[in-house]
Amino acid sequence: MTRVANYVVAYEATERGNDTVELGVALARLTRSELRLCLVLPHHASTVPARVGAASSPDYQALLEEQALEWLEQGRARVPADVVATTHLLYADSTTEGLLQAAATFDSDRIVVGASRRGLMNRFTIGSVANALLHSSSVPVALAPRGYTAPEQLTRITCAIGTRPGWTPLLDSLLAFSEGLTVDLRFVTLVEVDAGRGHPVDHAGSQAHLASVLEYFSTRSRAHGEITTEVASGHSVEAAIEALDWQKTEIAFVGSSRLAQPTTIFLGITAHRMLHALPVPLIVVPTGTDARKPH
Amino acid sequence: MTTHSPSSGPTPGASDSGTGGISSKGLSAGSIGLLGATVIGISCIAPAYTLTASLGPTVAAVGTQMPGIFLVGFIPMLLVALGYRELNNAMPDAGTSFTWATRAFGPWLGWMGGWGLIVATVVVLSNLAGVAVDFFYLMLAQLFGNPDLADLTGNVLINVLTCLVFMVAACYISYRGMETTKAVQYVLVAFQLIVLVWFSVAALVQVAEGSAFDALAFSADWFNPFLAPSFTAFAAGVSLSIFIFWGWDVTLTMNEETRNPKTTPGRAATLTVGIIFALYILIAVATLMFSGVGTGALGLGNEEIQGNVFAALAGPVMGPFAILMSLAVLSSSAASLQSTFVGPARTMLSMGHYQAFPKRFASISPRYKSPGFATLMAGIVAWGFYAVMRVLSTDVLTDTILTLGMMICFYYGVTAFACVWYFRSEALGTIRAFLLKFLAPLLGGVILLVIFATTLYDSMNPEYGSGSNIGGVGLVFILAMVLFIGGIVLMLIQRSVNPAFFQGKTLTQGSSKEHLHMQ
Repeated sequence: MTRVANYVVAYEATERGNDTVELGVALARLTRSELRLCLVLPHHASTVPARVGAASSPDYQALLEEQALEWLEQGRARVPADVVATTHLLYADSTTEGLLQAAATFDSDRIVVGASRRGLMNRFTIGSVANALLHSSSVPVALAPRGYTAPEQLTRITCAIGTRPGWTPLLDSLLAFSEGLTVDLRFVTLVEVDAGRGHPVDHAGSQAHLASVLEYFSTRSRAHGEITTEVASGHSVEAAIEALDWQKTEIAFVGSSRLAQPTTIFLGITAHRMLHALPVPLIVVPTGTDARKPH
Repeated sequence: MTTHSPSSGPTPGASDSGTGGISSKGLSAGSIGLLGATVIGISCIAPAYTLTASLGPTVAAVGTQMPGIFLVGFIPMLLVALGYRELNNAMPDAGTSFTWATRAFGPWLGWMGGWGLIVATVVVLSNLAGVAVDFFYLMLAQLFGNPDLADLTGNVLINVLTCLVFMVAACYISYRGMETTKAVQYVLVAFQLIVLVWFSVAALVQVAEGSAFDALAFSADWFNPFLAPSFTAFAAGVSLSIFIFWGWDVTLTMNEETRNPKTTPGRAATLTVGIIFALYILIAVATLMFSGVGTGALGLGNEEIQGNVFAALAGPVMGPFAILMSLAVLSSSAASLQSTFVGPARTMLSMGHYQAFPKRFASISPRYKSPGFATLMAGIVAWGFYAVMRVLSTDVLTDTILTLGMMICFYYGVTAFACVWYFRSEALGTIRAFLLKFLAPLLGGVILLVIFATTLYDSMNPEYGSGSNIGGVGLVFILAMVLFIGGIVLMLIQRSVNPAFFQGKTLTQGSSKEHLHMQ
């Protein structure tokens, strides 16, 4: 039985859940994958049953299940006909745990979750589920910005890359992801200019680094599309992100490792700031992950 | 193509048992052993809270016969629980008093059964919060060595506002669907048991040393419930005893969650009740021997302390370690507040779903998967009820406990009769069916009915309970009437707004045989 490329979509019947479905659809179209719409319900509260008798629980559980199946149908109805989606009602101790187990069960390539609804504009703030996944998932996690709608086709992938060792897993993941796809690729390095101290900005170093990245990537890549590099600088991480142009049909890749140098960025505290400014979906690739071997 | 259970396929990654696994049903199948089930049972009963709230009113009713009353009070509870279990097995997907009573007796009685359950739990919520407020300030006083802090609870405004804070917190936790973990629950239960035994031993030691407040010599007669002063007193005592065992039936109805569904629930129920019996008898005897039943400062007959006995006794009995009692009661109230919130919220949700309540009550929070609106309403009503009671009656806790006993009798009674009626066609089939589906619930129901009618009648007396009365009629009676008539009025309003439920369109009446044919 051949493995079907698939994404676990963390669905809930909220705006955030809808964003998640939209991102799932966009990614599924790009990589010709299937979607596994998963709704996680808490385990029947066996540790804290109703005092009025467990009697009141089964009825409630049945109603909850009925409602959850209805929600899943609503979620599936949002998936256009060109994408295959299955729905799954799961029970787990926590949403995060349910999603992780679903990803393991379905042998999924990625988990798609919504960013928190509290984000302003169309920008990210990481919700608790997404945050927990980022700390524990062994497959990449795709974060959908608030109010996201799937484009007909994703046309560009931007990969934000740091200069410390450890960027190869990210590139390997991207190589696997983009294999055979017709999509533009852009590698960027973010440079925070500290205006107060006036450190000279090492643009040349960043360029050189990008060149080596480009070399590593282009010798291995089997994607069809233009590959570009860019160094973005700004007074803050947010400003550097905003200095770049972002297309509506774009997604971003980032590694979850701590690649930070004083003036170049990556996850940790700066990553969160970066996410605040990012207007497109972000896929966070865990470090040390073997890039998912396609099929 | 819809799968509901990824774990049912050949999937090595997912485990289908244990709390960590994804299971196809909501129950963590096979995750609870004998010890776990017993802990859950004790946790649901919340002995520290239950005892502090009920010792006083029980002594007020039956005096020194308290230990005996505790023993007989368990009998109707047991009989009804046996029937409960049969209903639960027969209609596993429809398990509230509301749905059972509706299926057996039709919409009107079914509605009132559900209403009784909601009212009982809302009343206990307000009482729990009240006890928690008292102990909260007592604990602050003990912590800072400043007795004035403990008096803050007597200030109506501060008291009601503190209660609001607790209620909002409990409501929020419920809404978010947060749960105590197993480990926390084990610790809390162990802590409660240790502190309660400590208290009893300390009290008995003081009796032996002659330093007890009003030492009363032990007498075997205490265990004879029939020496209660009158049938009125006996009925009030039994009604209170039902309250102290409330929650025990949870262990009997745990099936799939247990590792061995055939034996574990029964053994856990037996073990739970054994531990609870031993504890209750120990505490009852120790407090009687230490405090006596007089109306002195620490006497169990003192109306000032009756609603919250441990708050008054912990200091004199346990000395500097009294703060442990505060912690035990507070944690037990907090855990109980949480597990009690679940009841009315889910019943309201169920009633909303079957259109017996406005549709809004049926809404489930898509984010937290909890009955959002119903939980909120339970919190608001419980707090409102508490606030009104606090202003009306100085001994609010005693009166709410008495009202509560009555409400529990009512909805347990309705459920017991629902069981008898629902299984009427198969009652004579086998001896087992006759005993469990007919005789036990029938007897339990009749006992509860008698207790209910007696306490309702007696509560008209202005001297009943705390002695609060309005126009010469006992406050407890007025409370019960307001709650029942309020229910009937709401039922009629719902009937006129949306008659679907009352016309039998959403839930059908019938017997076990008819429902079997329908499937």
